Amino acid sequence: MYEIRFHGRGGQGGRMAAEALALAAFLEGKYAVSFPFFGAERRGAPVRAFTRIDDKKIRIKTQIYEPDYVVVLDETLIETEDVLEGLKPDGMVIINTQKKPEEVKLSRSVRCATIDATTIALETIGRAITNTAILGAISRATGKIGIDAIEKAIIEKFGARLGKEAGEKNAIAARKAYEKTIVGIAKAGKKFEGKKQWLPTVDELPLGGSIGTLQTEAGLVGIGSFSENKTGGWRVFMPVVDEQRCTGCKICWFYCPEGAIKMVDNKAKINYDYCKGCGICENECPFKAIEMKREVRI
Amino acid sequence: MDKYERGERMNLKNLPDDEYFTPGHTACPGCAAPIIVRNMMKILGKDTVIYTPANCLLVFGGTYPYIAWKVPYFHEAFENTGSSISGAARALKKQGKKVTVVGIAGDGGTYDIGIQALSGAAERNEDVIYVCYDNEAYMNTGIQRSGSTPYGAETTTTPAGKKILGKLRHKKDMAEIMRAHDIPYVATASISHIADFLKKVEKMKNIEGFRYFHVLSPCPTGWRYDPSKTVEIARKAVDSGMWTLYEAEYGEITNIYKPKKKIPVEEYIRGQGRFRHMTPEMIEELQRWVDRKWERLYGEKP
Repeated sequence: MYEIRFHGRGGQGGRMAAEALALAAFLEGKYAVSFPFFGAERRGAPVRAFTRIDDKKIRIKTQIYEPDYVVVLDETLIETEDVLEGLKPDGMVIINTQKKPEEVKLSRSVRCATIDATTIALETIGRAITNTAILGAISRATGKIGIDAIEKAIIEKFGARLGKEAGEKNAIAARKAYEKTIVGIAKAGKKFEGKKQWLPTVDELPLGGSIGTLQTEAGLVGIGSFSENKTGGWRVFMPVVDEQRCTGCKICWFYCPEGAIKMVDNKAKINYDYCKGCGICENECPFKAIEMKREVRI
Repeated sequence: MDKYERGERMNLKNLPDDEYFTPGHTACPGCAAPIIVRNMMKILGKDTVIYTPANCLLVFGGTYPYIAWKVPYFHEAFENTGSSISGAARALKKQGKKVTVVGIAGDGGTYDIGIQALSGAAERNEDVIYVCYDNEAYMNTGIQRSGSTPYGAETTTTPAGKKILGKLRHKKDMAEIMRAHDIPYVATASISHIADFLKKVEKMKNIEGFRYFHVLSPCPTGWRYDPSKTVEIARKAVDSGMWTLYEAEYGEITNIYKPKKKIPVEEYIRGQGRFRHMTPEMIEELQRWVDRKWERLYGEKP
């Protein structure tokens, strides 16, 4: 049996990828199970999905804690959590990034495959949804599942949901990724501090009252504390303001769902710590002063 | 002469910089709900208490131990927003505090589950503001149909399949139900019309009694469109007549916005994945509903 854990963001299709991989294994005559894990989170928030594949019936139903392979659909996730947690010593990590495996820095040195799935998805499907491209990379990097089965599974699974044409485009994305995947060894050296939690006792909380804003060992809690949650990692495209064209009309400032636009000297200034890259500002700017550009993360 | 007549009312230029709903919340990119609450709170100000039942805003505005609100914020059960805000407003009044009590519910918490508490509070004319941000389905639990879901829209409980093609019934007109309660203020708004939106929020802040504020809140995840089109779709909803902007005081419509050029409903539904399966006959049926609503509200044929 081998186990695969997917790390993605809500809406990127981690769950669909895990399910399509299970279907591909099934098409090859294997047994497979797949399920997602997420909390009360929206699109863009970190989520996990799991796939187990075996030659015989699978009885184990738990989440995957010691995977053989880890798949990362969004490279910003390797900055915020240790994706290698529990990965077997001879395991492998497959990351969607523009970097080469040797340029990727993780918590330890590990076999690593990289693929620029976002570019492939944008070119082939027209949207930055990378779940099908990454499946091609999994096929190449692991060598455990044939690309033909992957393609068939994608056409069946995605075709049923999005229409035949979209299913075929997604299969092409997987094939392209299969051809472009690079396998190597990632560098060690990234440090992760264990995330502290704020777990007050009953005595520390005012019964039926408000705690206001508190500085705790887990960071800020209470009213207004969400400002510590930097959502900038969610975006694929970033808005760039052309100050020559900006007239300070405040329309983008009104429309930014994140409140990430501030008016400074009558010009729009974007706070990239929070911008999720929705693109409303570009779409609504009457003077075409904002342009969404593909973000290159180094 | 009041300050509205002097033209001193709130507009985009003098809208304060203060944020009472902080960035860092976890709404989907392109969500309209934070646009609504952020800008509404700029006018309502810090002396405000917020109540929300279960809805997306509850989750992305506060996940333990984090909260995006900078004002007191309470979570109550799904069905009792109306009664919770009634109690809070009366308690605060007894304490002699001048505080605006606001309940913010989604369409599920307003149209279906919360309607009895809401109707009771409105009938008693409690001194509160009730805001319904209407994204036309139960988005928080994964897109199930609500009383607000329009005809033909696909949700997980009204799928476009072999037996049915999306929802079979039309959208319930909640603002009209609230208008029938003979309350001081009922307003419908859309983020696409900024001046109108701000004017209505400022006006309702200064009215005493029950105020009902209903805002259309396009949802990129549930309506299945590109997140950058949120405001564009809100605008098309108004221009097509799918959504009508008006104010009513004590049951009488005192101000109604009429689109300069009415666009066919087909133009509104194009680009929204939830309507993609609609047949020409279904689009005609939706258009007939829009025309009926238009005639009722404007008193003339479109």
